[in-house]
Amino acid sequence: MERRNSMARTPLSSVVAPRRSRSKSYRRSYHSCLGAASYLSLTSGLTARRLTTSRRAPKSHSITEKVSPEQLALLVKKEWQLSYVTPLHQFRHKQLKSYSRQLQAFIVAERQQGLAVGMEGADSSFRVSFSVLQGMVETDDDAESVFVQIHSKPVFAGQEKPMRSVWSGWLACISGSPDYLRSLPEDFVCLPLFCSSGAEWLTSLVKSWFQRMFDCCFGPLEINTTNLEWLVALWTNCHSEFNIQHLKLMWTLPVVPPLEVTYTLHPQDAWELWRSIREDVQDEEKTEGGRDTMAKDGGSICIEEVMRFMQALKCHFYRHFRVDLSTGRLDQVSTALGSAKHNGKIKISNSSYMITTLMLLTECALLKMPI
Amino acid sequence: MDDSTKRLLQQLVRRIPTQMLKTTLEKWGRLTTEQQKSLDFTQPKWVLTENLLAFCEENGWTTKHITELEMIYVTDSPNQGMWYAFQLLDPEDDAPSVELTQFKEQFKIHLTELIRHVSIKIKKHTDEAVWIRIAWGDSFSRPNHLKPTYVVHHLQTPYVFMSSVTRKQKPLLSQALVLATRYTAIKDAHLSGRKLTAIRDVVMKQYQQVFPTKYPSPLLEQNQTASNPLIKREQAESSENRHQMACEAFGYGMVPQLQTAVYKLETKFRGITNKTMTERGEPIRCVVKFTSTNLLESFRNCASSGIASTPVTPLLSSITQKGRNFFVITDNGRGPS
Repeated sequence: MERRNSMARTPLSSVVAPRRSRSKSYRRSYHSCLGAASYLSLTSGLTARRLTTSRRAPKSHSITEKVSPEQLALLVKKEWQLSYVTPLHQFRHKQLKSYSRQLQAFIVAERQQGLAVGMEGADSSFRVSFSVLQGMVETDDDAESVFVQIHSKPVFAGQEKPMRSVWSGWLACISGSPDYLRSLPEDFVCLPLFCSSGAEWLTSLVKSWFQRMFDCCFGPLEINTTNLEWLVALWTNCHSEFNIQHLKLMWTLPVVPPLEVTYTLHPQDAWELWRSIREDVQDEEKTEGGRDTMAKDGGSICIEEVMRFMQALKCHFYRHFRVDLSTGRLDQVSTALGSAKHNGKIKISNSSYMITTLMLLTECALLKMPI
Repeated sequence: MDDSTKRLLQQLVRRIPTQMLKTTLEKWGRLTTEQQKSLDFTQPKWVLTENLLAFCEENGWTTKHITELEMIYVTDSPNQGMWYAFQLLDPEDDAPSVELTQFKEQFKIHLTELIRHVSIKIKKHTDEAVWIRIAWGDSFSRPNHLKPTYVVHHLQTPYVFMSSVTRKQKPLLSQALVLATRYTAIKDAHLSGRKLTAIRDVVMKQYQQVFPTKYPSPLLEQNQTASNPLIKREQAESSENRHQMACEAFGYGMVPQLQTAVYKLETKFRGITNKTMTERGEPIRCVVKFTSTNLLESFRNCASSGIASTPVTPLLSSITQKGRNFFVITDNGRGPS
């Protein structure tokens, strides 16, 4: 589990908090309300969660060794719409074949009812396949990720034409909170992060099938400013090992008509600024006395560093344009590693550091869940 | 009627919005009264295209006729495509006396000298602007009318606006323009946008401007029904002040619609807290792009609402003051260059 050795601060404030302790974090408790509430109400004490104030710096290794390149190729370079999913009741990784058949039958049946808006594809021309993304886990508590793909054949295509993929999605849990995962009753599998790409009507059919089958519920997963800022820092931190090409941040300012600001930094300069801020923060911690018994190994990043980095970027901007970016909303961040948008869209351009991104998103999904 | 004429007509009809089609065809005046009457503009576009192709065959229209129609449409909808402003430099003594016929003749002569296969059409629009349509070919091919370049020049002004010019065509076009207008050079004005009228208004400063005065007067009527007069007055004064400065920088009333402004910054980082970075010799390289459906209005709103501090930085007010929307900023030459 991650060390939490930073102090917690109100984001964006630059006043040093008077108290500091080694493991302090924001607390937030969940309320049981939907879905499997009856089971979980017994364990509500264990579902209290914290907001992370410190994260491990991304490491590139593991993922490409653990997951096959073919499967990784399915996940990268596509834009995924994120949702959270509550734990799945009686989901079995061994029954994926039967799930494929059932979902396929469900889609065909729904279409025959005429519920779905007309799209290409005759009724029998859908093929659904479930598969396990072998190795897409970070801890022993994580359930194996599941990938779903829907193939279809256009109505007017000839017999010899191959089916093409029209929809894909996956469910994952990367380094989910062990306290929470262990508190779940036996029958539940927790894969809180749902990513989908493809026609909207298929997404909603897949969702409603999951809801009926596994008594779960879905909800939109937006990536708030703090988490986008975390990604900025985590990705920039990779630049010493992997050329991130650019650091691009996009804000929307609340004026009429809305003003969009795209701020693109040279990767080397962004990284040097980041490094200097980390050094400063670490120096300050040293001079403040030996309360920090666990020395920083450079392997973790704390929220303090993230906030100061963002503040420095905004300052540099303000010095030129005298426009305060804090008044706007951070809408999008991107580097050569990927991009993330406030509205819950994410693209992974390079798989090397994707685990870190997915850990953050898993955490967001768990926090967003209404249970 | 050959295939290329047909294709040109098809492409053109596709581009013209249905509600504009009738008036454009009337202006063109190449349809007979019966033909004009027989067209039902409530029908789908492809039916109209079929009808027009039939008339084209009947009347024996050539590419020349179709390009006339295209020019009518393009001059009537100047706010499409991407327009780039250029500025002519160092006029010869006779530059102010260049008039349309002379310009037309000279431009054609000079451009055809530079490139053999080229088709040029020049027309004067009602607002004193000269519209030039150029279809380019090369040494082996005939001019391609499907991808023409449009150039707009206001005689007796040093401004030229271009749309759809390739890197290869630009030097040829520039040379012909410089020679025909009796100037000695031309340079990129670093101003571009989707609306030709806006670009023109910005470079020629044809919009309502507000000039700084020592004693600012209220621009808008303030609602003076104050419950706490002192606080109200103070707030009103500062917001009035901000509004005044916002208008000085970005214009008053309707402002020209620009869509973007781009700044390439190579400036040193200066922070109070971050010593390492401040002491670093190297500048920070970044690009800042502002985007809006109406950029100047957004900026004005930023300044008057306080999101942008007033007085407005010269970097932003330079868009209107210098009439450009692309800047390179370095520490040496402070201020936009």
